Amino acid sequence: MLKQLMRLFRRNQGSKDFAKSRLQLILVQDRIGIDEQLMRALQMDITALLSRYFELEQDGIEMELQREGQSMALVANIPVSSLKNRRPLQA
Amino acid sequence: MGKVIVVTSGKGGVGKSTSTANLGTALALMNQRVVVIDADIGLRNLDVIMGLESRVVYTSMDVIEGACDLEKALVKDRRTKDLHLLAASQKNNKNDIQPEQMKKICLELKVEYDYVLVDSPAGIEQGFRNAAAGADVAIIVTTPEVASVRDADRIIGLLMNMNIGDMGLIINRLSPKMVESGDMMDPDDIIDILSIDLIGVIPEDKEIVVSTNRGLPATYNHQSSAGQAYRRIAKRIEGEDVQIPEFRAGGWFGNLFKFKVFKGI
Repeated sequence: MLKQLMRLFRRNQGSKDFAKSRLQLILVQDRIGIDEQLMRALQMDITALLSRYFELEQDGIEMELQREGQSMALVANIPVSSLKNRRPLQA
Repeated sequence: MGKVIVVTSGKGGVGKSTSTANLGTALALMNQRVVVIDADIGLRNLDVIMGLESRVVYTSMDVIEGACDLEKALVKDRRTKDLHLLAASQKNNKNDIQPEQMKKICLELKVEYDYVLVDSPAGIEQGFRNAAAGADVAIIVTTPEVASVRDADRIIGLLMNMNIGDMGLIINRLSPKMVESGDMMDPDDIIDILSIDLIGVIPEDKEIVVSTNRGLPATYNHQSSAGQAYRRIAKRIEGEDVQIPEFRAGGWFGNLFKFKVFKGI
């Protein structure tokens, strides 16, 4: 019975809190004006930079903004297959 | 000199026209001289909600085109003294009116009337800009849902850019039952997110559907919880200090019922 109650409690807590935390994240993005175009441009720049050092698996790249407490974090998951074979940079 | 209040939301279907009709009625019942303007050119609704559709002869478009005087274009609501409607043209569209033209109408009306309530169309485009053009104050209507609150936030930003900093929020269709069970954001959550002043909470009320069917705003019905809430908001607009009650599921009976359920478990 206690378990049932706990489950009921947890389930009930759920959906409103989901709504609120999703909204907070959405609004941070809306307010600073990050749109899909900007995210794509950012992703291209970051992968271009990283490709100078690594071989990247282009298909597996994921980038998103996440809310962490009061601030936002840009979280990128960029799979690397190997280090690029390159000569030392020349001036 | 009166005040021009734009009633807006961003998202459609959250109760802008219903709120405009009810607040207009409630203010007129408090002996204020009121004009409600339907700014939804091409998709007019306010006349129907107020039950005045059969009496519309002229629209704001006729006034702008010089086909009739502003005063003559107003439909007088026979049930309440000093309540008037300026209807929207159904034949035109939102781009046929410029913000300046709407502003002129509002400025002219607020000389004669205490309150000019402008019912904004949904969206953030020209229709919204026309509706807000002459506003001194904005009332933003939202429901306790993610999409609606998001759009409200967008509208708040746009209103600030238009230098309409004086804003109040109406939270519409709050279900006390769902708030109590944790499945609906409560007014505190929403205020916390939008950070603007709350001017009122309208509980979910079936009477709104009935009153819209009849063309008689719920404000006239003293049994309607939504109607009561609109009358309280009208008092707040008039500067009276009226508390926002904490809504409980089903009132006293709701609590009793809940108690019984808990005993059963």
